[in-house]
Amino acid sequence: MLLLSIEVLPNKQNPHRALANNHDMTNRLFNPAGENCASLRFSLFAALSCLLFSGFRRWLFFFFRSRLAACNLAGLSLCILGLPALQSYAADYVATEQVEARLVAGVDAVSPGAEVYLGVHQKIIAHWHTYWLNPGDSGSPTTIAWHLPEGAAASDILWPIPGRSSMGPITNYSYENDVTLLTRIKVPDNVVVGGEFPIKAVVDWLVCEEECIPQQVELDLVLPVVEPGEDLGQGSELVEAALARLPVESPWPVKVFRVSDETLELWLEFPNADPATIRDLWFYPNEWGRLKQSSPQTYEVFPDGIKLQLPAGEFIPAVGESLDGVLVLTEQGSSGDMQRGFELVVPVQAAALPGASLSFALALLLALAGGVILNLMPCVFPVLSLKALSLVRHAEHSATHIRNHGLVYAFGVVASFAVLAFILIALKAGGAQIGWGFQFQSPLFVLIAAYLMFAVGLSLSGVFYIGGSLAGAGSGLTQRSGYAGSFFTGVLATVVATPCTAPFMAAALGYALVQPAPKLLAVFLSLGLGLALPFLLLSYWPGLQRWLPRPGIWMERLKQVLAFPMYGAAAWLVWVLVQQAGADAAAIALAGLVLIGFAAWLYSVTRQISTRASLFGSLGAAAAVVIALAGGSALRAGSADVPQIAENWRPYEEAELQQLLANGEPVFLNFTASWCISCLVNEKVALKNESVIREFEEAGVHYLKGDWTNRDPQITTFLSRFGRSGVPLYLYYPPNKDKPVLLPQILTPDIVIGALRANSTAISSSTDFTSGRN
Amino acid sequence: MAISHIAKLFCAGVAMTFAAAVAVAEPVVGKPAPTFEAKTADGTTLNLESLRGRTVVLEWTNHECPYVVKHYEKSGNIPKLQKEAAEQGVVWLQVISSAPGKQGHVDGATALKLNEERGAAPSGVILDADGSVGKLYAAQTSPHLFIINPQGILEYKGGIDSIKSAKEDDIPKATNYVREALNALAAGKKVPHASTAPYGCSIKYAG
Repeated sequence: MLLLSIEVLPNKQNPHRALANNHDMTNRLFNPAGENCASLRFSLFAALSCLLFSGFRRWLFFFFRSRLAACNLAGLSLCILGLPALQSYAADYVATEQVEARLVAGVDAVSPGAEVYLGVHQKIIAHWHTYWLNPGDSGSPTTIAWHLPEGAAASDILWPIPGRSSMGPITNYSYENDVTLLTRIKVPDNVVVGGEFPIKAVVDWLVCEEECIPQQVELDLVLPVVEPGEDLGQGSELVEAALARLPVESPWPVKVFRVSDETLELWLEFPNADPATIRDLWFYPNEWGRLKQSSPQTYEVFPDGIKLQLPAGEFIPAVGESLDGVLVLTEQGSSGDMQRGFELVVPVQAAALPGASLSFALALLLALAGGVILNLMPCVFPVLSLKALSLVRHAEHSATHIRNHGLVYAFGVVASFAVLAFILIALKAGGAQIGWGFQFQSPLFVLIAAYLMFAVGLSLSGVFYIGGSLAGAGSGLTQRSGYAGSFFTGVLATVVATPCTAPFMAAALGYALVQPAPKLLAVFLSLGLGLALPFLLLSYWPGLQRWLPRPGIWMERLKQVLAFPMYGAAAWLVWVLVQQAGADAAAIALAGLVLIGFAAWLYSVTRQISTRASLFGSLGAAAAVVIALAGGSALRAGSADVPQIAENWRPYEEAELQQLLANGEPVFLNFTASWCISCLVNEKVALKNESVIREFEEAGVHYLKGDWTNRDPQITTFLSRFGRSGVPLYLYYPPNKDKPVLLPQILTPDIVIGALRANSTAISSSTDFTSGRN
Repeated sequence: MAISHIAKLFCAGVAMTFAAAVAVAEPVVGKPAPTFEAKTADGTTLNLESLRGRTVVLEWTNHECPYVVKHYEKSGNIPKLQKEAAEQGVVWLQVISSAPGKQGHVDGATALKLNEERGAAPSGVILDADGSVGKLYAAQTSPHLFIINPQGILEYKGGIDSIKSAKEDDIPKATNYVREALNALAAGKKVPHASTAPYGCSIKYAG
């Protein structure tokens, strides 16, 4: 495919160089294409020289490694005999013992002014490796010195995603098995059409297993020059594969924080990550010394992003300096792991992200403060002020007695918070995704929260009494004499406090919910302590009671006033809901609120009439609430009123697919999920690419997208038909064919367009294709 | 009582945050260089502290590594540096941290013979087959150089020069950081490039 014309250029180099490149290891150059070695003259000469210069061992060596030794010894003898060195051949393929190097092009021809990709492909034997741009603790990156006709320009090497290998305390960033190092070449305008474009690359690399061998080869390639505008051809598929392995721009924001002199924190704002599918995350800095290369980089998945800890190196970037490198994510795909690299140039910022890296002590303090403030919140204050205050105002009890009551009350509060913490820990252990951010992504949750706020507000306004009934239900408990009563008052306080939030609580809770169990428990206990603290203090220092206002009508008014923040909270939640689920959600939510209001009124108005009436009232209220909640199930996230850009895809439906196939229409299928990072990168990089969209349009391709975020069983069945148990899956059904073409897990625009064109009988070959490959 | 229990829990939580600081694993320029006692090629034991009062250069080496060969046989670069250093009264110690069975591992007699053959004249050769000295200094490549001043403070760590290649023609084009540092120290000036990127083959530690 690329052996269009290979010229054997006279070798100007010192022929000894090839042999003397290493101290102990012989570095052999040979051309297994056999063009020169196969020539009779050469083999005869080789045989003769072997016999002349070798003993029995060498002769055996020649026998078993004939071409290899022949060329080498022949070369040696040629040099000794002073003949011109034909042994260093100019070719597009040269191999050493460890590496087979090939010069490849992404095109079959060039045209004046064109930009083409050239690549040096290294096929490395097992367990050996060559190095990336930043080789790590030791080693040396491959360099390519281009010799091109005048006026041509070559870019720096475009490095595919590296891997890493460790040997004891030394970590290197390297390539194993094979890699193609790409370079973009600009062809000058003055090349002669119909002539030739000769390319020479002198490639130096260090290849190591444990020991290292620096090697150098010279590769040559000549490409014909054609008219501008003519199709330049497909070129080598190695170039296409290498393009898919290049890092791309990150679709999500990345921030880097200098947390301390020893640590940087990298924050990738990807909101739906699923820790189960992420195999590996590593940041490869472009420069030595930025990070401690041999230290591990630990990552943590949060509801709103992924955090990666980077250990600082010798020359940690200062705040304001930029950290350059490649962030490589390895993710479980549907047919093997997928790797994605993001090219990053990120300025280092000073402060750490609040909440995500709150220190434990600070979180405890915030929880305590939040708990204290919670006492003042509308949900808690009115109820508690009546109930709990009475406890400490009993003058007939001794001071010790009051103190003990206070303690038992505090114990009740803290114990209830502990129970809450345990419930959350159990849920987390059971695999549920707990986290404020995550919960607030579910529209149903937001709707229920809005209803709750509204209901509490109604209660405070006096429409009905939840405090009363709860206290009534629990009054049996809370009115028990002695400590049991105080304990259950504490429990009541917690129950009433749960729907409420207070300043500082959000940060502390956000921290706690992503921590392991002990820390989560500690924060919750601290919160409980804060809630119990005011009354605990009152019970210890009854003198403080003098500062408390006497009960009076002001308490009722205060309660009514505090209803309005609750209504405000409900309104805000409806707004959040509209953002999430569109304008229809507003109708559902508002109707639901009306139903809640009706339910509250019905319930309270039938309280006093008769037992039957109150039963009817309760049932009617319950029914209204159920209808309101049922409306919530009609909500679906993602149907938000995003300005409707004409999307070129429709959701996948099996019936529609079958219909299209029956009509012989070309169909492109994309199965993705919101937590599949690589799928989203594929969409951004390839499927939303302008030339791909245009290609779909021109070819009349129907683009169907299947969203597997919620494990839709219809999609699961479809995936299993192709032997896949997960996403991504990309299929193209050519027109009038019912057997689809499978595309790879990592897409580039060229791969998609190539699949379309290669399989399309509808598009005739005489159509003029402008080279849109760059 | 409950409150005291809770208070104790709270205090414990606060205390937890003050975790023990992790000991620094690498030598830092400007701080005292780690001291060690190790066997030398001529059979004696050398204690780094005994060299207090003199400038010491530690050179991690592996005679089979192409990068070391570049500076020894192919150019005579390091032997020349060693002679210059000796004239200045600097103690130049080669350190061989290759584990037994790995590339570069030699016994004392062979090490001395190799130096003789290569025209190298270090003040001494440290045999560090278990890699303890290498790991103490976080030495990663061969060559990897460290310079310690007469007061025992680390003044330089890093590569031998500024061009990370295996070609001897790059030596005259590169800035020799070791020579630069030694000259600066002799003149009482600050070392211009105190920490640079080391390059070479990785040190063949055990395991």
